[in-house]
Amino acid sequence: MYTKTATVKNETGLHARPASEFIACAKQFKSKLLIKLLSSGEEVNAKSIVMLLSLGAGQGELVQISADGEDETQAVDTLVDLIHSGFGEL
Amino acid sequence: MTSLQGNPVSNGIGVGPVIIYEPFSWETSQGEISPDETEDMVLRYQQAKQKAKKELERMIEAFSTTDPEKGKIFTAHLDVLFDEVMEEEILGLIQDDLTPPDRAVDEIYGAYIHLLEKTKDPLIRERAADLRDVRSRLLRCWAGKEEKNLSSLPKPVVVVAKDLFPSDTATLDREKVLAIVTEVGGATSHSAIIARSFEIPALLGVAGITERLQEDQTVIVDAVEGRLYCDPTPQEIEQYSRRREEYLLHMSQVKKYLNVEPVTPDGRRIEVELNIACATPQELAGAAYTDGVGLFRTEFLYMGRDRLPTEEEQFQVYRKVLEAFQGRPVTLRTLDIGGDKKLDCLALPKEENPFLGNRALRLCLSHPQMFKTQLRAALRASVYGNLWMMFPMVSSMEDIHQAKAAVQEAKNELEMEGIPYSEDMKLGVMIEIPAIALMADQIAKEVDFASIGSNDLCQYLTATDRMNPAVAEYYRSFHPAMFRLIGYAAQPFLSEGKEIGVCGEMGGDPLSAAVLIGLGITRLSMGASSVPHIKKLITGLSYERAKEIAQKVQHTALAQDVRRLLQEELQQLL
Repeated sequence: MYTKTATVKNETGLHARPASEFIACAKQFKSKLLIKLLSSGEEVNAKSIVMLLSLGAGQGELVQISADGEDETQAVDTLVDLIHSGFGEL
Repeated sequence: MTSLQGNPVSNGIGVGPVIIYEPFSWETSQGEISPDETEDMVLRYQQAKQKAKKELERMIEAFSTTDPEKGKIFTAHLDVLFDEVMEEEILGLIQDDLTPPDRAVDEIYGAYIHLLEKTKDPLIRERAADLRDVRSRLLRCWAGKEEKNLSSLPKPVVVVAKDLFPSDTATLDREKVLAIVTEVGGATSHSAIIARSFEIPALLGVAGITERLQEDQTVIVDAVEGRLYCDPTPQEIEQYSRRREEYLLHMSQVKKYLNVEPVTPDGRRIEVELNIACATPQELAGAAYTDGVGLFRTEFLYMGRDRLPTEEEQFQVYRKVLEAFQGRPVTLRTLDIGGDKKLDCLALPKEENPFLGNRALRLCLSHPQMFKTQLRAALRASVYGNLWMMFPMVSSMEDIHQAKAAVQEAKNELEMEGIPYSEDMKLGVMIEIPAIALMADQIAKEVDFASIGSNDLCQYLTATDRMNPAVAEYYRSFHPAMFRLIGYAAQPFLSEGKEIGVCGEMGGDPLSAAVLIGLGITRLSMGASSVPHIKKLITGLSYERAKEIAQKVQHTALAQDVRRLLQEELQQLL
């Protein structure tokens, strides 16, 4: 189990296109991946577009990503970097 | 003539026969499947999914060359179709609860549609439409039916529907659709976005319309005024058909001017700039056809949040705008808050007269830390383009000295920290308080440029609160005094060879813009929708003629006569 937190920087948050990019990235990994919205405590499957949308992580929100599996470190680090990159919106 | 109201999300006029479009509808299987059927049912469900996948991939392929943006809608649908969580739950219902697959799909998608529709964010609520779309596609594939859509229509029609799925609007035959009318849907819905990109008039949110209209009945869709006329007379049909032609002609003429270089027939180049606020991609797209940003309102960075924006956040946004305009001027107006604009992240005391109170530059000078954060962010960004910094609500030379001292202090700090900034950044002021307009000769020596904020200038000059409807008629932007004062303030800047522009409503209104040009103004800043109109004016109006008009206007007594005079003089150029 490996966990890291990240702040959502891009203006639209994890919606629409950024959400699709996030899912596409998450699906490359074998580990079980979860994303948690720290303000609400809600935690969902990070490979599911509908769950990610329902989470509604907006700009400025803190999220925690955790993974369990053979590529857990790489998965979490890659997703955290993706969030910090701002999905090309910054 | 019965008329119904709707939300005109894509402007235009359409007149023609109605087609009532009903997307695929379904009734799900009742009862349970038998345990030995489950394997077969799961297999059939997977086959339906594969068929839906193939349809989506065909669509993505078809759009890949023509319109990749629309292709993205279907890529998003693939994500939904292959969603892990929904898949697991659907299989769970089939295998463990013996639910028929179509009902399992209907129930699980229904649950998530409900979940998304409950969220606070309108962007996410709109995504529920994508789930509905995928559900319908999947169930249709399950039922073994072919896709019925709006891609091949026998004749030009007005499409009337409860709602259109993104896939319906994306594939519709744009040549044959005169207008779209739906019962639901907001301005940010896919239907609205696609209608706008296809330039099809669209009226959304017309309650009960599919029940009211009959197939083939002729209707008038006025998606300019937001009205639908259900049973028009032949005269009305004739009248609106003509209005439609005029509208189309007008739009095509106006659009031709978007990319034209704004030079008067006698060779005076007027800079046409944009007013921007949020630095959205749409706003920044204006860089393609304008000379820069004449007014970058930075307030939005401070709005709708409970903490002040950090230096880094501001820096990133300013840099993005500067880079988008690639060396053309970006006029950043420092925080203009108070009066009509309040902030959640900064508690301000209630004032008796907020428009005459502690606002804009005054507020910044009384909150030095907040001001410095913005100045540092702007200075840091200045190396990424051509930044002009402008202070709002300046009433005296003392204000300018204080503002400049604050900038100098920020510069000193950056220097100490070894952080670069551009030495070429221009410093200017807004002219919106009459006192500063009357000091223009002194001010022009002190600053690099000025920009006339015509809305506030009119309010302060005519002593009319522009938020108070009781005195609305006293707020006269065509008041001759406005033009006299603007002419007076512009002159010293012109003789000093310094830039003077106008960034209020007057700059984007062809009637007043003509006078401004005649008064010597060479920079006009406006919202994106005004750009083609103003460019059309500039390319048709000589500077000599504009000067004559400006002379006449300044010697007219009544504001209403000024307006009438301008309408007559400029008739051919509007």
